[in-house]
Amino acid sequence: MNDPQAFVTGLKLLGAGLAMLGAIGAGVGVGIAAAGGVQAMGRNPDAAPIIQTNMILGMAFAEAVAIYALAVALIIIFAAG
Amino acid sequence: MSEVKKKRRFGLFRWIVLALILIGVYFAFIGPSIYRPVRPAVVLPPEAVWPGLNIFGIPLTNTMLATLIADLILILMALRVNRFVKSGEMVPSGVSNFFEAIFEFLWNAVDSATGKWARKVIPLVATIFLLIFVANMVKMIPGFESIGYLEQLHKGTGYAPVPLFSIFGRTVYTIDNAQPVKLAAEAAASQGSEPTPAEEEHELCSACQVIPFLRGSATDLNFTVALAVIAVLMTQVYGVMALGLGYFGKFFQFGRLVNGGIFGVIDFGVGILELILELAKILSFSFRLFGNVFGGAALLAIIGSLLPVVLPPGLYLFEMLFGIIQAYVFYLLATVFISMAAISHHSEETAEAHA
Repeated sequence: MNDPQAFVTGLKLLGAGLAMLGAIGAGVGVGIAAAGGVQAMGRNPDAAPIIQTNMILGMAFAEAVAIYALAVALIIIFAAG
Repeated sequence: MSEVKKKRRFGLFRWIVLALILIGVYFAFIGPSIYRPVRPAVVLPPEAVWPGLNIFGIPLTNTMLATLIADLILILMALRVNRFVKSGEMVPSGVSNFFEAIFEFLWNAVDSATGKWARKVIPLVATIFLLIFVANMVKMIPGFESIGYLEQLHKGTGYAPVPLFSIFGRTVYTIDNAQPVKLAAEAAASQGSEPTPAEEEHELCSACQVIPFLRGSATDLNFTVALAVIAVLMTQVYGVMALGLGYFGKFFQFGRLVNGGIFGVIDFGVGILELILELAKILSFSFRLFGNVFGGAALLAIIGSLLPVVLPPGLYLFEMLFGIIQAYVFYLLATVFISMAAISHHSEETAEAHA
């Protein structure tokens, strides 16, 4: 606490870590998408290519949330004064 | 089959692998300290390849150099495939075969997504896929992010340089893990150095970090934002090509605002939201690719400095997989957005053409 700048830096890193909490939701979402996709492919292997495409698409959208969290974290670490 | 396999069980290969692991353990934990990996510096903006080397006033960065290498590889591949196509043979081999497999895979997805527009859409999305794919693979070459020039640090922890060997009258230096130099830290996040040997051309520094000559293209936001802007702008172009200027009616629904009553106002708001969504696409496109590749590179560097022997090969495999998947996701999303833009909200005939 006797070095205020170090204190601020520490809080900054803490904030970046907290921002990455958003990755929890994305992880759950991607997991659900994969589970659904694999189940569907198990039931109907013939439709696998179509299911795979849509599954990856859904995963990409779910992942976007984590990407936004990452962007915020990077901005906190590198850009925020 | 199993009989044949049993005969080969005491082959040479496993001993080579074991020897490599032991050499790795020796250099990482037991041997001289100059071979030990040091804590890497995680730097967000790309660095200049050489101090003062400018092209049209813009410094040539290490990510730009890596992108140029990827471009060169793509051009060589294209020339090779062109020669094959000109030769008139029917059965491709080598690079041409690889190219045909990739292109068939891309064509099938584009054809099923965009229908009659496939021939116009594929040049753009296939180019994006191939560039990201090759750039992500080129990033895996040893020497990327590790060979560079030394630079004096101004804060944090640097490492002392140690001469390694001489070539063409110039000395090649490496940085010594056992001689960390702590600078009067201004309480900023401590910066270490890149893990391996470095070349040194100008006067020596006391606390050094390595500025690499080459760094993965997609670890630079400029690269990914450029691709994202191209993809989103071209989505609008394809929309206009398919629907005429009426395409922009999707965003500005003035007709609904005038005669739609209260729901018309809501529709108008939804149109404006779609316009904002278009801009958000640029953000998510660029940060998805950048975040994955940059995070992977940072993970590799940090794990490589903590546990340099067993884990990195597996992570490299993981990185290759992610390089392919990210290229595929970028290409797939671009295709889907373009196909969505080319289908009108209201006209029935285009909807039927796609059904």
